[in-house]
Amino acid sequence: MTATQHLSSADVQQGEVVAIGSDTYNQVLGFLYREASLLDAISLKEWSALLATDLVYTVPLRQTRPMAQQAASIIRTVQHYHDDYRSIMGRVMRLTGTKSAWAEDPPSRTRRLVTNVQVSTTGVEGELAVVSYLLLTRSRFDSPDLDLISGERRDVLRYVAGELKLARREVILDQAVLGTPNLAIFL
Amino acid sequence: MKQTRNVLADGTSIEDLVKVDTREVQMRALSDHEIYNLEMDRVFGHSWLLLGHETEIPNENDFVVRDMGSDSVIVARGKNGQIHVSLNVCPHRGMKVSTLDAGNTPIHKCIYHGWAFRPNGDFLASPVEKECMHGKMMSKVELGLEQARVTLYGGIIFATWDHEGPSFEEFLGDAKWYFDILFQRSDKGLEVLGPPQRFIVRANWKTAGEQSAADGFHTLTLHRWLGEVGNYAKSGEEGGADLSPEMYGVEVSSSNGHALRCIDLGRKIRKLTGLDPDELSVDQKLEALPPPGVTREMLPQLKRNLSKDQLKVLVSMPPQVGGIFPNVLFAFVYIPQADGSVLGLTLLHAYVPKGPDQLEFVNWILAEKDTPPELKEKMLRQSIQLFGTSGMVEQDDSDTWPHMTVAARGARGRKSTLKYQAVYETSKPAGWPGPGIVNEGFTKDDTQWHWWLHWHELMLAKV
Repeated sequence: MTATQHLSSADVQQGEVVAIGSDTYNQVLGFLYREASLLDAISLKEWSALLATDLVYTVPLRQTRPMAQQAASIIRTVQHYHDDYRSIMGRVMRLTGTKSAWAEDPPSRTRRLVTNVQVSTTGVEGELAVVSYLLLTRSRFDSPDLDLISGERRDVLRYVAGELKLARREVILDQAVLGTPNLAIFL
Repeated sequence: MKQTRNVLADGTSIEDLVKVDTREVQMRALSDHEIYNLEMDRVFGHSWLLLGHETEIPNENDFVVRDMGSDSVIVARGKNGQIHVSLNVCPHRGMKVSTLDAGNTPIHKCIYHGWAFRPNGDFLASPVEKECMHGKMMSKVELGLEQARVTLYGGIIFATWDHEGPSFEEFLGDAKWYFDILFQRSDKGLEVLGPPQRFIVRANWKTAGEQSAADGFHTLTLHRWLGEVGNYAKSGEEGGADLSPEMYGVEVSSSNGHALRCIDLGRKIRKLTGLDPDELSVDQKLEALPPPGVTREMLPQLKRNLSKDQLKVLVSMPPQVGGIFPNVLFAFVYIPQADGSVLGLTLLHAYVPKGPDQLEFVNWILAEKDTPPELKEKMLRQSIQLFGTSGMVEQDDSDTWPHMTVAARGARGRKSTLKYQAVYETSKPAGWPGPGIVNEGFTKDDTQWHWWLHWHELMLAKV
């Protein structure tokens, strides 16, 4: 049992903790920062180059359940996102290759604040389990209110030809009812 | 007396919100608090409301918490499998009895003073029974949770507070013949593929409600991207393909505000078979393109459960999208795939009012119970990718409605009007077997207009 095991997504086995400040940890942090800045700058094609071609990208629903049933608070049947590499690339194509992706045109102004990063090895050589917190602020049009999307990312990053790629992302959101009108943005 | 009830505080009469001659609706209807409050009684208090599907609560004592208009309700399965809908308000001191989204319990106990209720809403007891904390002035029978009138239709749970009003069948009216094609066609019926997605849109519920009443035109512009990339797009066309061929079909409405867009399947069947659809029999068309969630093995079920006339509509001009008054959208859509095949999807949305400028979008994804697991999985994923929270089609809708709602608050904007002046000059196609107000051709505004007329009728408390 490692320190972060209780945070892991159901299908990712976690091994040794990767020490904060180690080279590997810093590489992961560099990846997450670069990814956040590409998404916030709406450089979606560059962002998509960070994705492994066997990517699985999911965002479960949440339900309000009693303390004793917290496992049931995460719903992985119907989800908010249930995508693979191909469908994510389809979404990127809609956003970048059409003139009518109105949900993000004009685009939201976003900040992805990624913190509380914990890294561990997995049973698979070259793959890392990365748990981080995400606070995404979203501003649209002339509304002074920010939509807040908060959650925990449970990622698997993989070294491919010396570069880290995102192979698995599950985002455990905190809201049972989302306070933003759509997820036309990536988390 | 009735006259004064139909005048708003500033002297505007509800009658005048809708201009029948010119088919206009005053935009203040989308933002006004007073109108909203009246709607909660006159529209939501007198309509059958969608709460979910019985497969969400398959076992005795299962429950989900949902909304009927502005009221929270507990939808629970009690003894003998019966489903009960109880106002989620403790009759003692008004605490919300269940603060959860879902679960299983034989007793719903209020955490404030401990009054306890059965899944059927019956008052069981208060703590320290011998001290009779609930007093002796009212009997236990009188202290139960307020019960709504419940019906199941194709397993879908509907409820109303109007105990003396129309039956669910009467409520569906002419539209029932068509809804049966969708909801009553298989032996075992539909099932949910999981709990619903839920998210808030800062828009009046009617922006979504009136669009659900079969707004065809918005597809051309708001969903234009469908012609620009992906499987509807035709290569070589500058600026994307023309979606207008998808706008032809038959539109059906009823005086009860329900609406259906029946879209011609001919082009899809021609593409799949290479044959002229007019030359094909009903059986051949069913084989070529079975409806959403239905496999070829399941086709005998359709023939058992539907009439010949209903089958004829299903294979040629099936209802694909539309609304159940007041706040439900249904979609039984046929989505072209990259490999040339077609995948059918089945969805239900409820647009729950959360104040004059906010709605909760509740999205259920369904399949037939008999749909094979691999097909269910495909339907589930593509439904998530195209509809609901992150859906590439509906994310454009939920970004549009808030602007209308804000506009309807302006001093001039609230006096502007929504216009429904594209009027059908055709009528039903020759030999059309179904009832209702039926028109064929390029989409028009009639179905949405009939939605507003029914809203108006309820708001005037005429029914």
